[in-house]
Amino acid sequence: MQLKFALMPALLAGSLATSSVLYADETADTIQAMKKQIEELDQKVRILERKREIDVEATTSKTPTGPRVELGASGLAVNSADTNFVFKIRGYMQMDGRFGVGETAGPFSDTFLMRRIRPIFEGTLYRKLDYRLMLDFGSGITSSASNDGFVQDAYANLRLAPEFQIQVGKMKEPIGLERLQSGANLLFVERGFPTLLVPNRNVGAMLQGDLFSQVLSYQAGVFNGASDGGSTDFQAFDAGNAAGRLFTTPFKNSGVEALEGFGAGVAGTYGRFTGPMRSYLSPGQRAIFSYVTGTGVLPNVLADGQQWRLSPQGYYYWGPFGIFGEYVLSSQDVRQAGGGVSAGAKATLANRAWQVAGSWFITGEKNSWKPVAVNEPVTFTSNGGWGAVELVARVQGIHIDDDAFPVFANPTTSPSSAFGWGVGVNWHLNRNLKVSLDFENTDFTGGKKNPITGNNEQVIFGQVQVSF
Amino acid sequence: MKLTAILLTGAVLLAGHLPGALAREIKLLNVSYDPTRELYQEVNAAFAKAWQAKTGDTLVIQQSHGGSGKQARSIIDGLQADVATLALAYDIDALAEKGRLIPADWQKRLPNNSSPYTSTIVFLVRKGNAKGIKDWDDLIKTGVSVITPNPKTSGGARWNYLAAWAFAAKKLGNDDAKIRGFITRLFKNVPVLDTGARGSTTTFVQRGIGDVLISWENEAFLAIKEYGADKFEIIVPSLSILAEPPVTWVDRVVKKRGTEIVAKAYLDFLYTPEGQTIAAKNFYRPRLEEIAGKFKSQFPEINLVTIDGAFGGWKNAQQVHFAEGGVFDQISSDRR
Repeated sequence: MQLKFALMPALLAGSLATSSVLYADETADTIQAMKKQIEELDQKVRILERKREIDVEATTSKTPTGPRVELGASGLAVNSADTNFVFKIRGYMQMDGRFGVGETAGPFSDTFLMRRIRPIFEGTLYRKLDYRLMLDFGSGITSSASNDGFVQDAYANLRLAPEFQIQVGKMKEPIGLERLQSGANLLFVERGFPTLLVPNRNVGAMLQGDLFSQVLSYQAGVFNGASDGGSTDFQAFDAGNAAGRLFTTPFKNSGVEALEGFGAGVAGTYGRFTGPMRSYLSPGQRAIFSYVTGTGVLPNVLADGQQWRLSPQGYYYWGPFGIFGEYVLSSQDVRQAGGGVSAGAKATLANRAWQVAGSWFITGEKNSWKPVAVNEPVTFTSNGGWGAVELVARVQGIHIDDDAFPVFANPTTSPSSAFGWGVGVNWHLNRNLKVSLDFENTDFTGGKKNPITGNNEQVIFGQVQVSF
Repeated sequence: MKLTAILLTGAVLLAGHLPGALAREIKLLNVSYDPTRELYQEVNAAFAKAWQAKTGDTLVIQQSHGGSGKQARSIIDGLQADVATLALAYDIDALAEKGRLIPADWQKRLPNNSSPYTSTIVFLVRKGNAKGIKDWDDLIKTGVSVITPNPKTSGGARWNYLAAWAFAAKKLGNDDAKIRGFITRLFKNVPVLDTGARGSTTTFVQRGIGDVLISWENEAFLAIKEYGADKFEIIVPSLSILAEPPVTWVDRVVKKRGTEIVAKAYLDFLYTPEGQTIAAKNFYRPRLEEIAGKFKSQFPEINLVTIDGAFGGWKNAQQVHFAEGGVFDQISSDRR
């Protein structure tokens, strides 16, 4: 019994010790399990929070599903969410001043005028079909049965591939280099003599494209026929021509900067044209050469048959410097349609014109065929710059076929040739605002009884251009 | 009079050649992929200094970063990137094919297929490597949480995916069904798909999610440099992939903005000893042997497959794995 009592505490102590060890093990396991559970829950919470964070980021940077409207220096653009449909409103206005000075002879209308007022609507349908409508409400624009001058461009271009595009509508025929340059991007206020001998805008259809990573471009089309410098959107006479142009920038992707800006090409038309022919204008926009159009004993002269043109052309740009040149030979069968001793006389007359023009951005901007990107544009705020300043110069000439005189043109009132030079400065304040000041001098050979060509023409041009 | 005119014209034209155009400020935008922030911060500072010394012009280089595929789409949609420095050639190909912003042969314009530096894919684990991760097949084990971005938006993620695929192909004897099963199990272990590599690093390092981050090698080194070797460690798998991030100038943009010369010079700088040293210091593997030699001890030797050798080039890899309805889409639907 005593032993029993003596063992009792020992057994109790042993039992307690065993149970406390067992209890301690169980607690440690439980704690471990709970710790693991907490860690798993912690991970789940962290994952949920991170996913929410990513969702918020995605929402804030999500591509919009509705149309995107952009208004900026390039005008107004509306894009569909998938960018397959685009509509843009752009335009430009040119406010000119034109003043005869110095040796200028004959009547000269010193005037301010709105040279061009051109709203432009353009865009894309189904990603592939581009369209453009450009109107003009500038001073002196008229509409006639054969041409609506208020509609300058109205065409659609289907871009099946960069190499193969089909354009139909009223557009510039692909001939004259300077003619193909936008009216908002000219070096001088008025284009040079070669533009007088190439057609302007005609209705037709054209294939065009860029080949070999834009190293070679081509255009080939058929158009209503037009006299030199003319536009038509209705064929009132027996006429029509095929036009083509090949232009290469062979070093475009060469990596040699001094060569990348070189381009050269050739363009031409071949077809028929009958009907009255336009006068050729001086830089001051006065008629300096006209075929005989008088009444009475003097006959009228009409285009009457084959017409073709050939124009080699090229440009070179390197850094702030640029130069371009073009030559145009325009041949036209003509006939005296009036009475008199020369009635019924026919001839093929080939007139020629050329120009070389250069420019230099003294503020260092990169020169190119396209509009300049101004380094430090005027923003009309304290952070703005002074814009880009470009000096320009050109020489140019035009020669009328000797066979034109005296039967088809009067040598005493129409000059047989003219030579001109001009200098100027363009201040591109920013991409929207440009101010130009030019001086042009033109000497005439022949036509001395014409009060306009009896002496040199010297004209100062000023222009303020606002584009958007 | 004619002589005067010709002389005058000539004088103006000649004047164009005269040096001394006024010093100016030029802005350049580098649109890059996610983990290159630090690399280009350093490159930009060094190049701007060199450019100013050479030309007098002040150069302000702006950076934009995001998932490589997403960045490419932004450029196509109109982001005015003078240069694109993306994670893989396929994304830059898209600038040529979809955006027509650069010529198709852009990759031939700079040395080494226009990739001035390389990288590869490694694992970043928490110090101690509690899950005992040593190779790709450890990533498909139950209970292992893997962090990698979304291959649909991230170039780095596509490299990750292809490296895993190459390992599985080698281990499973090119059995397509088994490889797909391997990749499916791997992505079942991914709890969060970020849009870019930097996002995944944030998820793993800062948010503390996951056991292992499949990462660009440079990004893994950077995490250790920034957060300490006492917190993370790099695990080099038995096989990985040679990642060649390419660079290009964006022709249409630089021509429009007049930044062609400086953009080309900027990318040329990446190939110079100075540019290569900056790349190596930022844990990108340099191409220049003399610089690679100097930093040899920094980069572990890894058995690497190439995109051309193992997948027939990026075009093929993209079409098979990442295009709409491709393998990744299929395993993603399995994953759900």
